[in-house]
Amino acid sequence: MEHTNEKFLIRLSGVTKTFPVASGIFHALNNMTLDIPRGQLMAITGKSGSGKSTLLNIISGIDKPTHGSVVVDGVRIDTLSESELASWRGINIGVVFQFFQLLPTLTIAENVMLPMDFCNRYPAKERRPRALALLQHVGIGDQADKLPSALSGGQQQRAAIARALANDPPVLMADEPTGNLDSQTSTAIFELFAGLARLGKTVIIVTHERDFASYFENTMAMADGKMVTELSHA
Amino acid sequence: MKTRYKKVMRDLLSGYAKNAMLVIAMAMGVFGVGAILGGYSVVKREMTANYMGTVPASATLEMEDSLKQGLIDSVRQWPGVSQAERHATVLARMRIDDKWFPLLLFVVDDFEHQRTNIARHVSGEQTPPTGTLLVERTAFVVMHAQEGDSLLVKTRHGEAKALKIVGTVHDAGLAPAWQEQAGYGYITLSTLRALGEDGGFDQLRILVSEHADSRDHIETKAKEIAIALNARHHGVHEIQIPPPGKHPHQSQMSAVMTIFVMFSFLVLVLASILVGTAVATIMVKHVRQIGVMKTLGANSRQIAVMYLTMVFALCLVALVIAIPLSRVAAAAFYDQIAVLLNLEIRDASIPVWVVAVQVFSGIGIPLLSAAVPVLRGSFISVRKALDNHGVGHRPQQQLSWTMKMLSSWKFAGDMFPLAMRNVFRQRSRLAMTLGLLAAGGAMFMMALNVSEAWEANLSRIYQQRLYDVEFRLNRLHPTDTLLAKLKSIPGVTHVEGWNSAAVAFSKGNKGVEVTRTYPDKGHGSFSMQALPVSTQLLRPDITAGRWLREGQANEVVLNQLATPMLSSVALGDTVSLTVNQHTTAWTVVGFVEDVGTPATAYVSIEAFAKAEDTAGKSNVLRVAYADRSKESTVKNNRLVEALLEKENIGVDATIPVWLLRNAIAGHMKVLVNSLMAMALLMAVVGTLGLMSTMSMNVLERTREIGVMRTLGATPRKIRSLVVWEGVSIGVMSIFLAFALSLLLSAYIGSFIGHMAFRTPLSLQISIVGVVAWVAMVMAGAYVATLYPSKRANTITTREALAYE
Repeated sequence: MEHTNEKFLIRLSGVTKTFPVASGIFHALNNMTLDIPRGQLMAITGKSGSGKSTLLNIISGIDKPTHGSVVVDGVRIDTLSESELASWRGINIGVVFQFFQLLPTLTIAENVMLPMDFCNRYPAKERRPRALALLQHVGIGDQADKLPSALSGGQQQRAAIARALANDPPVLMADEPTGNLDSQTSTAIFELFAGLARLGKTVIIVTHERDFASYFENTMAMADGKMVTELSHA
Repeated sequence: MKTRYKKVMRDLLSGYAKNAMLVIAMAMGVFGVGAILGGYSVVKREMTANYMGTVPASATLEMEDSLKQGLIDSVRQWPGVSQAERHATVLARMRIDDKWFPLLLFVVDDFEHQRTNIARHVSGEQTPPTGTLLVERTAFVVMHAQEGDSLLVKTRHGEAKALKIVGTVHDAGLAPAWQEQAGYGYITLSTLRALGEDGGFDQLRILVSEHADSRDHIETKAKEIAIALNARHHGVHEIQIPPPGKHPHQSQMSAVMTIFVMFSFLVLVLASILVGTAVATIMVKHVRQIGVMKTLGANSRQIAVMYLTMVFALCLVALVIAIPLSRVAAAAFYDQIAVLLNLEIRDASIPVWVVAVQVFSGIGIPLLSAAVPVLRGSFISVRKALDNHGVGHRPQQQLSWTMKMLSSWKFAGDMFPLAMRNVFRQRSRLAMTLGLLAAGGAMFMMALNVSEAWEANLSRIYQQRLYDVEFRLNRLHPTDTLLAKLKSIPGVTHVEGWNSAAVAFSKGNKGVEVTRTYPDKGHGSFSMQALPVSTQLLRPDITAGRWLREGQANEVVLNQLATPMLSSVALGDTVSLTVNQHTTAWTVVGFVEDVGTPATAYVSIEAFAKAEDTAGKSNVLRVAYADRSKESTVKNNRLVEALLEKENIGVDATIPVWLLRNAIAGHMKVLVNSLMAMALLMAVVGTLGLMSTMSMNVLERTREIGVMRTLGATPRKIRSLVVWEGVSIGVMSIFLAFALSLLLSAYIGSFIGHMAFRTPLSLQISIVGVVAWVAMVMAGAYVATLYPSKRANTITTREALAYE
């Protein structure tokens, strides 16, 4: 898939996402229109149930909107099949989870190599050197051949970031990436994300951490499935 | 290796205990299939090769007089006849440890150039000189003798004479001698004469040159020859045509083996269901990992291939373990069957297709079973996968009435209602576990039920036969005074004189009747038993109609083996039966079952006397003793034989009822034991299923258990909860297994009973079987819950709550 040079990497138009619940229909996202520019470190904040994780899922193709369209880097992803979405996501979106979600039976390097394997990116011989380089970049190059359980929480999250970068995606998404880390480690992780944004990656982070507001170029607050603070598109 | 397959291998190795269990279960299935199919393939091939190697005669014509060589030479020239040979078969007796046993003497014309029913030379003399005999290899154990020993032999008309055993032969057309509780000897005509018999070769064996497998063609040819011989005053009174190309036990063996093959595949299917259940759990356990992998770019196909590769790898390990072991077991199995059928395994190679079936079924069936959970798990949407938190995707709105009822059972402790609700949370898994356990238990109990029914049916031999010994006399003897003398012997309670004669259903063949009798004169034979209507010595079970009545002329009662000889026969029908070339019409008044008796037509001795002019004479004596034990029977037999000798009454054979029972028991015991072995495999697979389910149930509720412990549940409570779950599933399965075992027992009992006795085995419930299965399930349930409950208690509350 070709990357475009449009100013806005991600464009949501009239996106609604509903879920059936016992009491009726729950609107997780309510007619949301949003444009996210390239190369920004951006935060999405809001209370539990405000719709921020759903928004992340919609942008990453993990979930599909009930109504509306989602265009990422020129590709309308809400019309793609599950299979097309999987390979699109593997190449275009790097996801970082709150609980790291490293696969426990693979070493750290192998965890990083796995997305390359699934998306058949980079020749097989280049995958390990690339994984080691990414691990070096996030500061845990010496931990490459250890199993995840042998690493601290902060090291595991760095490994997860390296894995998210495996296929060199233009977008990185993280849902509460420091929710399970101490403040010192959290700072290091946010600095890492800021560095990646400086390198041209669009980094979208769902967070409650007010202490790290200075890292973000843009912050969007959500409530009841709607954006309550407009993004600045400077 | 691709990174994703490294994950597959590491996942396999990380759960090695559980995976080892799956491998064992599958290996048992593949092992069972290989052992049974391997054994069966060799037995089937060797049975045909052995039997056809004897060059079985297409037909045997029973002559009234001895045959001259010149006549044989002219029969050989008959169009459509490739071989002809003269022969004689004489029923004699042999003395072993002061007891007389039946001895079948085969009188061979030319030992060095046998043309039909060839007894293959094994050792010693090729042709036994006069006064000696060759012995079939399976008969030595009955004779308590070996080559070089002498055997005391007595024929119908002669004195007892010692014959030296000078050689051994193998006659693959005969059932083992130990099975028939009889001896097989091979002698020349001069030895027969030396034994006091003046008869000659009174059997003409022919081999047709075309359509050798067509009974109709053989019958046509044999009748042509019989008519021609009769026309030349060489009387033919019976034509024996055993099923062409079929070993006497071939159809029974094939049918029984089919059952075994079915059971062995059932073990594999059950093991595969276990794999399917286990894989379903792996998929549940890995659902978040699947979500993560999909987030990283994996598509559903890649995920499915990964998990199917995992199952494939387990299958490969199972095959590597099971195939060599199954070949060893197959060898043991065919060796046992070969002994049972008197076969010599000349080519022990197991065909390649057996391994192919093992490989295809050992991989295909588990993959098929695992495909559903794998595909369901692989095609789950990313969001659902990432949102998954264990069991209970569809929370219940309210409790069902059964749950409410079970919740009120406080007697079993406060954990019981919760355990019961947990049991029913994963209903499809519960159904599979119950299915596995129920099938295993049903098979186990069925095997014991059938084994018990087999023994019960054998005991019917004593219940139906109220006599203890049958003396087959050398000819018809007046019995008026003899019976009184026999009754006066101490220990004798009752004696009856019967008449027995070979009989055939007449098809208007002008005196030449066609039977299905094999050369051993036993398999396929049909006899008429003429007995006092008010006999006190026989109580067959009447299945239709009634028993014979006094004063009613020409009534006949047919037993279960005689009935199928006619295409259709009903009460009130008239059947024509030919005895000694006299054909008489008889009215069928009843059908009976009498265990262990060949095809028999029962008629009143008075009616028989009228038809055959035998008034006041008998050729069979049946004697009942006060003490029915074997030891007492042996002792009393000597007294009776002494009296008969004193009265100058020759005896062809002495057949105690215990000997008959042993002969029948020997026929099928190995097969009943094999059924037990198969049942044990099923039981193990079923128990493994319970263990697997329990560990899965607890594993996927790790977080929930953490919550319970946070709320104050003690390790004891958690253990009690898990144990109750296992025990509840076990108890439910017992009821299902019991019900299923009754159905299976009835079906298999009927099948085996028909094979052995032509009557179904009675339905027996083995208390030992039920108790053993209950104990196994309870012990299995307890053991199955030990590890999960221990694990549930050793994992810290923090770990449990953090468990993903």
